[in-house]
Amino acid sequence: MRVVVADDVMLTREGIVRLLEDAGVDVVAQAADAESLLREVRLKRPDAAIVDIRMPPTHSDEGLVAAQRIRTDHPEVGVLVLSQYVEPSYAMRLLEEHPERVGYLLKQRVFDAAVLVDALRRIDDGETVVDPTIVARLLGRRRRQDPLAELTAREREVLGLLAEGLSNRAIADRLFVTERTVEAHVKQVFLKLALELNPESHRRVLAVLAYLRDERSS
Amino acid sequence: MARVSVRRANIARLAAGAVALAYGLTALAVARGPGALTTYAGQSDLAAALAVVAGLALVVAGVATSFARPDGRIGDLALLAGFVWFAPFWAGWNGGPPLILSLGTLAAGFAVPLLVHLVLAYPSGRLRSRGARVLVAAVYLEAALSALGRALFRDPFFDPSCWENCTANVFLVRSLPRVAHGIQDTDLWFAAATAAALTSVCVWRLARASRQTRRTLWPVLTGGFVLAAVTIAHSVALDRMPLEDPTDPAFVSIFVVGCVAVIDLALGLLWAVASARLQRRSVARIVAQLGDAPAPGSLESALAKAIGDPELRIAYWLPASRRYVDARGRPVEEPLATSSRAVTPLVRGGRRVAVVAHATGIAELEREIGPAVRLALENERLQAEVLAQLHDLRESRTRIVETGDTERRRLERDLHDGAQQRLLALSYDLRAAGAASEGEGDLETASLLGQATGDARIALGELRELAQGIHPAILTEAGLGPALATLAEAAPVAVEIGETPGERYPAPVETAAYFVVAEAIDDAARRGASYAAVGALRHEQRLVVKLADDGSARTSEMIHVADRVGALGGRLEIEPTTLRAEIPCA
Repeated sequence: MRVVVADDVMLTREGIVRLLEDAGVDVVAQAADAESLLREVRLKRPDAAIVDIRMPPTHSDEGLVAAQRIRTDHPEVGVLVLSQYVEPSYAMRLLEEHPERVGYLLKQRVFDAAVLVDALRRIDDGETVVDPTIVARLLGRRRRQDPLAELTAREREVLGLLAEGLSNRAIADRLFVTERTVEAHVKQVFLKLALELNPESHRRVLAVLAYLRDERSS
Repeated sequence: MARVSVRRANIARLAAGAVALAYGLTALAVARGPGALTTYAGQSDLAAALAVVAGLALVVAGVATSFARPDGRIGDLALLAGFVWFAPFWAGWNGGPPLILSLGTLAAGFAVPLLVHLVLAYPSGRLRSRGARVLVAAVYLEAALSALGRALFRDPFFDPSCWENCTANVFLVRSLPRVAHGIQDTDLWFAAATAAALTSVCVWRLARASRQTRRTLWPVLTGGFVLAAVTIAHSVALDRMPLEDPTDPAFVSIFVVGCVAVIDLALGLLWAVASARLQRRSVARIVAQLGDAPAPGSLESALAKAIGDPELRIAYWLPASRRYVDARGRPVEEPLATSSRAVTPLVRGGRRVAVVAHATGIAELEREIGPAVRLALENERLQAEVLAQLHDLRESRTRIVETGDTERRRLERDLHDGAQQRLLALSYDLRAAGAASEGEGDLETASLLGQATGDARIALGELRELAQGIHPAILTEAGLGPALATLAEAAPVAVEIGETPGERYPAPVETAAYFVVAEAIDDAARRGASYAAVGALRHEQRLVVKLADDGSARTSEMIHVADRVGALGGRLEIEPTTLRAEIPCA
């Protein structure tokens, strides 16, 4: 797999590059800011870009904006945004327009080569990746009347994995059950939470995240 | 000392007035008697009455103006013009003493220069523009030269146009009829040119004057305009009929209108004296109207009303901080005089209290403002000083909070870009080392390194929470709504965010609102609440943040929150389980 890595902090960028190269991923270019990132993506046509959310010049959301640009201009290129913020609203912003082939991971996680490479593979397969910490925060949120209390432990687990962006197949593998069982759980979850979206749709991650963030569900 | 000399000058003026009265009446007697044939006053009752009224009006106006404005020259000019006004009466004394006749003839030439000077110097007594100064100097010079020439060379017996003193010229050195005639012609056209110049200078002054000044100028300047018109008419008439005949209806009408012009001028001066007196009275009344505890600025509006200048501004001087403020203590620029605005410094007990900027034309404001108003001014100055200090204090309080917030943002950025990045790199190295040890079969080291990696990850998480608590990056980047949503997701109690504003506010407002909610949620958790409802909504010029919870009654006074809101000039209302903060946001 060919990737471009963009991070303005050299220490982190090179750490990521070494990690990826050790894992057999082909890093075709590095960038220190959003502009050179977009140029490299245009020139090298990688399979995916790994983008730090905070980059020059304002160090605010340049990475997020660049990620959205890549998804719009080059739909075939996947984007994995790295962030130090457990910030569901950033993840939502990233997913909103193009929920497939994108990912939002906490930066500390990327030094686990297995996690990083797995995320890249899932993005390459057209899936969505949402950091488990963010999902955990959304699931663990204090609610006055918790509709999630209606779910069984297993259904909660399935809901979490749905929110992380896993496909039914991936959930089945993770939980050591059949895909069929997962399908049943997903239907049940959608029914109990009164989610109207087709559970098969690739936009279901967005629907689940939106539901979990929604005021009325709290 | 000054007061004594003023009093002495006034006594002299009063005496001059009395003398003028006697002198005017005597002149009338002369004109009605022996001068009957050669003066207008001798020829018609109307002319006589108007001429005497005009001369005495100038005298009375002169004395009255002198009393009202002892330092101005206007009163003296009017008084002198009044004396000179009667000169033709004496000059026309048939069979009178030759010296008096000669002097009368010479003095008569100075009536117009004095009146021109008077009109141009009104109201201050000084000639402010270069044009006016040049004009007045030229008029006096011409009158003097003409008088000198006529005295030396004009023999009345050779003057066919002589009617006023065909009897004597005691100063005659040598009779030069052609020269005398030339002088007379020059006088004629010079007078017409002067009249035209006077008109244009007056028009120019009116055009440039403020409304207030124009109101003061009009009464006197109309007299000046009529006088100029009459002078031109007189020159034209003399050019056509070289013999000035006091029985000719054209000349009589010119004389009558001239008298009316002078009366108008004198009445204008008297009106100015009267309105200044009225104004002083209304200024003095201000204090009584203000009452015991006037609101800041009411003195300014009362003075503006009394003076009749709505643009009037008072700037109070604060000696400690060496600056000017308005009545509410807000800093203002030092008022500077312009062509239409005058500046009067007001002093009390030898110290500058305030500076009043007002329309030009309000003369003697310094004198009009009596001791009672001055005391009121000093009171308002003290009030303004306190308000200014309060204002400074409030600003410094806001600055302190803002500096703190800037520091928090910097700290958060430093943590993110520094410590967090290093910890990330460290955890990568630990992981790599762990993998290497495992590869070499050193499982003990690998396990230790694995534990260290875990510790580094925990440290990273804690650091992240710390940075978030110091200053949430999302607040700066996305605003209050998203920041509150994040706050609610991580809160220790169930937090329901109601309406939040979609628009952005200045950073200090957003930060204050955020920390109000953050601290109030922590407080709710401490009081055992399980639920808190939060709403933030713009209400006119204020951002209103509301919070209600189901915890036990509050015991804390929420000092931090109150300080933060107060620093921005906002208000905090605390009830046992609710809280409402209003933060100005416009």
